[in-house]
Amino acid sequence: MSAVKPGTAAAFRVGDRLTGKDPWEVFGERIRRYEIHLSGGKIEITRGPIALEGYGIRIFRPREGVVGVGFQASNDFTDAGIRATLEDAERAARYASFPAPRVGLPTGRGATGGIVEVLDRGLWEYPMDSLDRFVHALHGAFEGRKQESVSFGSVRATLSETSICNSVGLRTGYGHTTVELELGVKAFGGPEGPAPGEFWVDESDRRLRVAELGVRASEWCRYAEDVRRGRPPPTGELAVVMPSSVLSGILPAVLGGRLTGAAETRHVAPPHGARLGSDLATVYDDGRIPWAPMSSPVDDEGVPQRRRTLLDHGVVSEVLYDSLHAGTHDTRSTGSAFRGMLAGFRTWYRFLQAPAVGPSTLSLAPGDAGTDTELVEAAKDGLWVQQIGWSSPDPFTGAFGGEIRLAYRIRNGRLAESIRGGTVGGVALAAEGSPSLLTRLERVGSRPALSESLEAPPVLVRPLSVAGE
Amino acid sequence: MGELSDAEDDLYRAVSRLAAHGPFVEVLAEAAVGLSVRFDGHATSLQAPPRLRGAVFRAWTRTGWTESSVSGLDAASLRYAEGAIERVLAQRPAAQGPPGVSSTARLEKVTPTPRPMRDFAEEEMQSLARDVFSWTTEVPDIRETQVQLGWREDERLYLNSAGARCFQGICRVRGAILPVAMESGRVGPDRFVRGGVGGREILDALTPESARRVAENARALLKAKAPPSGKMTVLLAPDVTGYFAHESFGHGAEADQFVRDRSYLKPMLGTVVGPEILTIVDNGAYPGAWSVIYCDDEGQPAQRTVLVDRGRFVGALHDRETAAALGAAPTGNARRSDFLSRSFVRMTNTYVEPGESSLDELVKEAGYGVLLESGTGGIEDPQGGQIQVKARRGHRIEGGRITDLISSMALSGRVLEFIASIRGLSGRSDFALDASTCGKGRTDILPNSAGGPYLLSSAVVGPA
Repeated sequence: MSAVKPGTAAAFRVGDRLTGKDPWEVFGERIRRYEIHLSGGKIEITRGPIALEGYGIRIFRPREGVVGVGFQASNDFTDAGIRATLEDAERAARYASFPAPRVGLPTGRGATGGIVEVLDRGLWEYPMDSLDRFVHALHGAFEGRKQESVSFGSVRATLSETSICNSVGLRTGYGHTTVELELGVKAFGGPEGPAPGEFWVDESDRRLRVAELGVRASEWCRYAEDVRRGRPPPTGELAVVMPSSVLSGILPAVLGGRLTGAAETRHVAPPHGARLGSDLATVYDDGRIPWAPMSSPVDDEGVPQRRRTLLDHGVVSEVLYDSLHAGTHDTRSTGSAFRGMLAGFRTWYRFLQAPAVGPSTLSLAPGDAGTDTELVEAAKDGLWVQQIGWSSPDPFTGAFGGEIRLAYRIRNGRLAESIRGGTVGGVALAAEGSPSLLTRLERVGSRPALSESLEAPPVLVRPLSVAGE
Repeated sequence: MGELSDAEDDLYRAVSRLAAHGPFVEVLAEAAVGLSVRFDGHATSLQAPPRLRGAVFRAWTRTGWTESSVSGLDAASLRYAEGAIERVLAQRPAAQGPPGVSSTARLEKVTPTPRPMRDFAEEEMQSLARDVFSWTTEVPDIRETQVQLGWREDERLYLNSAGARCFQGICRVRGAILPVAMESGRVGPDRFVRGGVGGREILDALTPESARRVAENARALLKAKAPPSGKMTVLLAPDVTGYFAHESFGHGAEADQFVRDRSYLKPMLGTVVGPEILTIVDNGAYPGAWSVIYCDDEGQPAQRTVLVDRGRFVGALHDRETAAALGAAPTGNARRSDFLSRSFVRMTNTYVEPGESSLDELVKEAGYGVLLESGTGGIEDPQGGQIQVKARRGHRIEGGRITDLISSMALSGRVLEFIASIRGLSGRSDFALDASTCGKGRTDILPNSAGGPYLLSSAVVGPA
């Protein structure tokens, strides 16, 4: 909380000047962003400060069993600017309608949400110096490597002061940092043999992690070399092991889309108590996991985050609500209102959009299948899929799949040659009684890892469709 | 010039002051107005673009480019960004100017339209959305439908220390119908999207016929069979052909990848890569297309750039730096998502030019394989030369005839092998451009369009 000063918090500066009889909410942000872009071994461009400060006003106008919800964002903090923004939101509220008889906005009581680790102090105090050090260390990690290099990349740090207030007395705020790392790591090989291969690093974190760069760079280089040597997979139904880096492109989009109040309103949510997965599938939504990109003390309406059980041993247990959908379904918000999705990507600013209901970080409960080696032994014959180009799951059908960027053949219970090309896919979430990735979970590893908005151990699924030569 | 006119003098003065500290400075200011309506039978929402104006300054220093962005065009905000640039120029003064040609263009252009969206009131947009919704949900088994209508008028003003002044006002209009059929636990989603640069006329494509057609397509998916797996003959519908063009010779020919030595295509410039029937173009000046620009964000006028000319790889997409590095001319492809984002070499409207075959002839030629329809996305691998394209539905082709409907699938393959296998393209009457978005890396999303005719080739296909 200390990173947000009440006198300068964007939301409070606006909320203190709002008048009108309809319930309202202001979400404000004060952001500094710094970026370094790389081209090969040199810095292509440095950017920053990128200064962005603004707010979004939401107006709730109850009428005849529905609520007209109007939203408008602005960066104009003058009295005239705030008045114009409010008028735009009120005009939208007049035309809009949402099927809720009431909206239960969070009050000030208990809305601080406690402490969640989401702020990198060093980065907050010295952003550009920190990025410089990171890039220096990154270059150092590739020094002396003859066969691999960074072909392009960027490291982008966002320092945000988020503040939220509303007409029923909520005033809360917190500071947080986000780091996005994107790298193309290229393996050249020798003059003979396959053409260069590239492993694409695409990560989001709360911290700038310099200390582990050497170890991580070695791993990226190994992956790039394996991409270079990879051959297409066989065609068929195979046992597939997937780590959290792959599952994070599948499960949050499907489970997070279907197990929400919005899906209930649209009649596409599975019923409470439906069995959607095997006994091994226990999935939580947890917005308080330390350093997770989606963690925060409160959601984007100011409701404290906590852990919710979405699937309990494969059975639908809880559903996620924001304040609006909670009103529709006569329940309470679960702290699941989030802003800042654009064309399927999360943006570094959030005040430009009204919130939507969705997951924070999903967490798949660890199983007893042990280490990666033990999972591979259990698979016996199949694939370890390390990276899919774009699995783009369909939230309605649950279908997912895409090109294999990097996988390893599993033969006789051991990792064998690398795979590049071909496709892997299936259905992540199906109606009760139909097969899916979740019902075909055969083993769940014991060592979870955090990847974007999913914390999960590797899982063994038998089978998934693989297409190759 | 509506939203930016009051700031032009301040912007001009800031550029002039900064020009005293370095060889080249430029600024891009941006503002937008518009409205979007969404109706799904349960809720109606209206949203206008943010009341957000801002600018990004870029200057050349001893060590390369530096940038600072600021939200707000008032004197104090501009001074903040100017100060940040000034400090870097003081620390790292440049002795020489940046590589490449600095624009000196003087241009002022606004989307022409007989029926401006500004005249289309909230009530009318809502009414159209409700009509489209009712046409769509008349089809049995359509349980959920979302109708999206929207327009956004984006104003950009570019000034630089070489004397360029480019103002463009582009109005993008888009309508989408997203029906979902459901029956006995099976789900069939489909979508119909029309978008372009212009006015109300673009939404005229949302008719009872188009609404019912997309609803029937969604309903048919309830009975779709699983797609086959493996390497096979593939026939791409026009929007899927667009994804192929975009992901292969679109991203592959962005010359920043050449400069980074990250494109498998770089050594192939000038060589024959495909059959004579294949021509691939990027055209920022395509009349009315969704991704039209009048100039890019370095002040270079938009143009038609031929990437593959009758099978020969002849051109790449450039900004000033890549053009200088590779001895070419800028092609008007330096684009920023917005004033908060950096400039990259980006596509505009990228497409395969039509051929001369009919669809029937291509299906007969295919013999056995799959037809991929309703593209949902794609991804490229500029280094490895592979692409992925996904389709929401398709059909089997058996005995030279289109047969069973099949569900969603992904296509994967090496671009050069895919191109070498191209056996036919359908004619101009099948040609279509979509209205989509593209990211470069994980962010930097901007409007993008791709298209073409039906295209016959071979690739690996699997369920997805």
